[in-house]
Amino acid sequence: MPVTFIGVRHHSPACARLVASTIDTLRPAYVLVEGPADVNGRIGELLLGHDLPIAVFSSYRDDERRLASWAPFCEYSPEWAALTHGRAAGAELRFIDLPAWHPAFAGRSNRYADAELRYADVMERLCRAFEVDNVDALWDHLFEIAPEEGLAERLATYFDLVRGEAAAGESDTTREAYMASWVSAAAAAAGDRHVVVVTGGFHRPALVRALAGSDGGNWPGIPEMPDGALGGSFLVPYSFRRLDAFDGYQSGMPSPAYYQELWERGPDGAARHLVEAVAGRLREKHQPVSTADLIAARATAEGLATVRGHHRPGRTDVLDGLASALVKEAIDVPLPWARRGTLEAGSHPVVVEMVAALSGNRVGRLHPGTPAPPLVHNFDAELERAGLAGAEALELDLTRPADRDRSTVLHRVRLLGVPGFQRDSGPTTGLDPVLREHWTLRPGPDRLTAVIEAGAYGATLADACAAVLGERAAQAGRDVDALAVVLFDAALSGTHDISDRALADIEGAVGGAGDLGPLGRMLTVVLTMWRHDGLFGTARSATLATVIAAAVRRILWLAEGVRGGNSPADAGRIGAMAACRDGLRHAGRALGLDREAAVETAGRISTDREAPPDLRGAAFGFCWALHDEPSTVDPLRGVRGAFVPGSAGDWLAGLFAVAREEVLHSPDVIGLLDELLSGLSADDFLISLPALRQAFEFFPPRERETIAGQVLTRRGLSGSGRALLRTAGPDPAIVAAGMRLDDRVDAILRREALILGTPPDAAPTTDAALATHAAGSAAGAGAAAGPPSGAATAHALIGDVP
Amino acid sequence: MSLTEITVTDPAESVQRPPAEVRFAAELARLRAADTAARPPGWALSVQAARRFVVGDPALGVSRKFVGDPSLIDRALITLATSRGLMLVGEPGTAKSLLSELIAAAVSGDSTLTIQGGAATTEDQIRYSWNYALLVAEGPSTRSLVPAPLLRGMAEGRTVRFEEITRCPLEVQDCLLSPLSDRVLAIPELTGPESMVFARDGFNIIATANTRDRGVNDMSSALKRRFNFETVFPIADFDTELTLVADEAARLLARSGVTAEPRRDVLEVLVTTFRELRSGETARGDSMDRLSAVMSTAEAVSVAHAVGLRGWFLRGEPGNAEDIVACLAGTAAKDNADDLAKLRRYLAQQITWRDGDQWRALHQARHLLPG
Repeated sequence: MPVTFIGVRHHSPACARLVASTIDTLRPAYVLVEGPADVNGRIGELLLGHDLPIAVFSSYRDDERRLASWAPFCEYSPEWAALTHGRAAGAELRFIDLPAWHPAFAGRSNRYADAELRYADVMERLCRAFEVDNVDALWDHLFEIAPEEGLAERLATYFDLVRGEAAAGESDTTREAYMASWVSAAAAAAGDRHVVVVTGGFHRPALVRALAGSDGGNWPGIPEMPDGALGGSFLVPYSFRRLDAFDGYQSGMPSPAYYQELWERGPDGAARHLVEAVAGRLREKHQPVSTADLIAARATAEGLATVRGHHRPGRTDVLDGLASALVKEAIDVPLPWARRGTLEAGSHPVVVEMVAALSGNRVGRLHPGTPAPPLVHNFDAELERAGLAGAEALELDLTRPADRDRSTVLHRVRLLGVPGFQRDSGPTTGLDPVLREHWTLRPGPDRLTAVIEAGAYGATLADACAAVLGERAAQAGRDVDALAVVLFDAALSGTHDISDRALADIEGAVGGAGDLGPLGRMLTVVLTMWRHDGLFGTARSATLATVIAAAVRRILWLAEGVRGGNSPADAGRIGAMAACRDGLRHAGRALGLDREAAVETAGRISTDREAPPDLRGAAFGFCWALHDEPSTVDPLRGVRGAFVPGSAGDWLAGLFAVAREEVLHSPDVIGLLDELLSGLSADDFLISLPALRQAFEFFPPRERETIAGQVLTRRGLSGSGRALLRTAGPDPAIVAAGMRLDDRVDAILRREALILGTPPDAAPTTDAALATHAAGSAAGAGAAAGPPSGAATAHALIGDVP
Repeated sequence: MSLTEITVTDPAESVQRPPAEVRFAAELARLRAADTAARPPGWALSVQAARRFVVGDPALGVSRKFVGDPSLIDRALITLATSRGLMLVGEPGTAKSLLSELIAAAVSGDSTLTIQGGAATTEDQIRYSWNYALLVAEGPSTRSLVPAPLLRGMAEGRTVRFEEITRCPLEVQDCLLSPLSDRVLAIPELTGPESMVFARDGFNIIATANTRDRGVNDMSSALKRRFNFETVFPIADFDTELTLVADEAARLLARSGVTAEPRRDVLEVLVTTFRELRSGETARGDSMDRLSAVMSTAEAVSVAHAVGLRGWFLRGEPGNAEDIVACLAGTAAKDNADDLAKLRRYLAQQITWRDGDQWRALHQARHLLPG
């Protein structure tokens, strides 16, 4: 029973060539491939004649967990070579690994990730020993561009070395035991004919050992899904972009476009194609790439290949050569092929193009005879169930459960990018009270294609939609506004629990946000949704809770960093402080936010001379509103200390926005404000008036009335605050003319020595008018009326009070 | 004692910091002896051997002298071998100058042909000047000519180092143009064949520039074209940096007479703080403002040294988190109020979510920041 084990790296052209030639030579009876055994009955579907890349997509759902996993194939996959050449040699083909839903795959979304990366220590030492940057460079060095002689032995040695030192984890051991049972059964069944086993190289040593200790056996069964669980495996189209996008433990070989070329044309062809693609992309974008640069790049690549002992320039040699020749300045982020992982923000534009050229944009297509992915059936069933199959124009009342369900289905379809589902109107943020939606549905021929493509995201509309939203959250980067849209789309589509990775992306985006305004707006929306959105079912959602906690932390962090001297009030940052206060007040205890630390931070901001006045005011209000013992906050002292004529209005705007209630219920503060405003000279008052009006605008009319009433009471005047506020005052032109007249009369009286000294202070009644005028005219914000400076105009204001 | 009486027996013993070729003379000799590969014209070692000199080769007893991506060294050496200038750029304290010294020592066996760039650097200090007494007495001749590093490098076929090139005025930098592209330096004062100095094999230029100086004296694009740029990054790997800081700090402390070993957990906090303030990103992924002060590994070592000194001489124990805060104020903030504010904000807001006694102590000690 001769069994040939080929340990491969998934998606390695060199391994694929080795697999192909081995099978062609041995013409085995069985070819066993690492892949989901539950697909064994349908291997024929894989060989229908698709355009690669494609993937076996497996979904699984039970009460406790849900999973989506892919086993991608491209033309240069060793597994693919095993299937195609095995079929050509007339061998029996078998997938021998556990199904994707098996607990051994928990948390894995890429079946063909590099197993050895889970054992990083060994890899690090190997890289050090070979003096290369990372595993990918090491792999190219040892296998892809090395001569083909002795490849099988080298692979075996390499993987023995990797495996030799690592104790495999429990999940790997489970899978290997299962795979070994297939191998021994096949060996027994093949008699004296050959068996070829193609698995990840990391598993090979264990399988070899297991076979030596086995005495044949029956074909193992295929594990049955637990009762009540749903799921299955289907073929879906795949793309190079997604193949390249896995990161961390999920990653396999990067740069699919390069390895495709390597597979088709060999190292020289791939190198040439890479240079052509990069130069072409750059020239298309009008970046200078001179012939001299290309010569230098070529020379450097050849030189690097020599130094590194490659007989032909490999991937990193060409890339390093191009980078040396084309990047003419310091770069902010290390070259991506020197470190593993996805492209970092801030990469040099030339490097970005190089990575795009490596990744390629090939998209797979399934043979028309392939059974449709489960999403297609789910899509039809959901539309049917919601009574939307033949609909064209719809008006939905979101308060009715049936309509709400239909809206959810429609939003899921919309988010999957299926054409012909258009929403004409409906709620656009979590704050507007719109409860009706209008939709226009137009069936078209592209609908089915789009659903088949979306089939790669999940088996049901809900799962696929969650996956798409997760991807969009990752793409949003640090754009908080885009993120807010994603979160609201999640609410609209009834997606309450997104994946951990998407949640981490969102948290990361909030943690990296740089602008207070959008963050505050998002927090307001999210907090509202978290507190009381029964309509979309988002109240107390765990996802939103994470976002709230992250946003509160981030706002406090950013607020302390704002430097701006005397810049005018900024509604965005004031709003962010108010949103942060609400977050702490309403969700602080439930989410375990540190209120004490927040108050401490706000305390620092409120006394920071570099912080802009509106933020200082807002921070002061924040302390006042959130302090455990409000009595220890001395608002009078705070207001008095901050009252500088030039910035008083801005400071108050911040205070009123964040601590409106507190001010309203503190007659002392209102009295002090009245006193301080009265003390302003006419000029100072003029300067601060616009900001004062903006500040008082934070009070709704009724509260302004209360303030006016308090001012009147304080001054011992009778009358209602409402009447005082209703006084629009005379026409500004008349006021101005009156002021000029006053000035002239004063000047003449002084000239004639009829009055002495500086102009007399305005009468107390004037001051009362000034203060209330500021409060009152906030209702007509932007009105151009100057302040009444003379006693006559002030009387005119007050005089209307009955 | 007159100057002539000083006899230098072993340069490595009496000189504060001997050049790399002296410090590592034995390693270079071993590499030369074992070097069988072809050498680029004018080079003292093959490219492979030069590479081993920098990245280390345990088999030959060659130490690892540069912690960073080995591919950077490959590219740098190939750049020099293909006769293009090498420009090492990066943040201060990323060991650019050390790297340029090591490469020059490996390639030419000599790292001393060095031009230090500065606001007052003139062409005379780069190319050549005259012995004016002889010039007046005999007129321009090779006798009265005083060659500067560039001329010597070209005539002798050696590597010339140009440190901090962007600190020189633009017009001074541009005197490198024709030596780099035509490989020739004209001396118009001389006549005949001596008026043109053609570069011999082995001549090349390694320049270093500081990204913090970007914009001070940016390079002309003509000069940029003649250089290949290599950006040197701070140490990417936390453990590597921590080990380096721990080793260096322990060495410095021992020399200062401190017998208490620095505590590993304190150093971990210190190195993490430095890395986060340098990169502007916390371990959790939050972005922050970078400090304008240089938060290099070298600075981390000096802070670790100072922390150890404080702990030992003030209390007779290893340094702790309080010492870190006290020393950070001096290094990180220096006289910059903005940096001090950033540091205060970092200590107040970005520490609380971490576990560990030293982190808690660091947070408690935040009030020790001055101001």
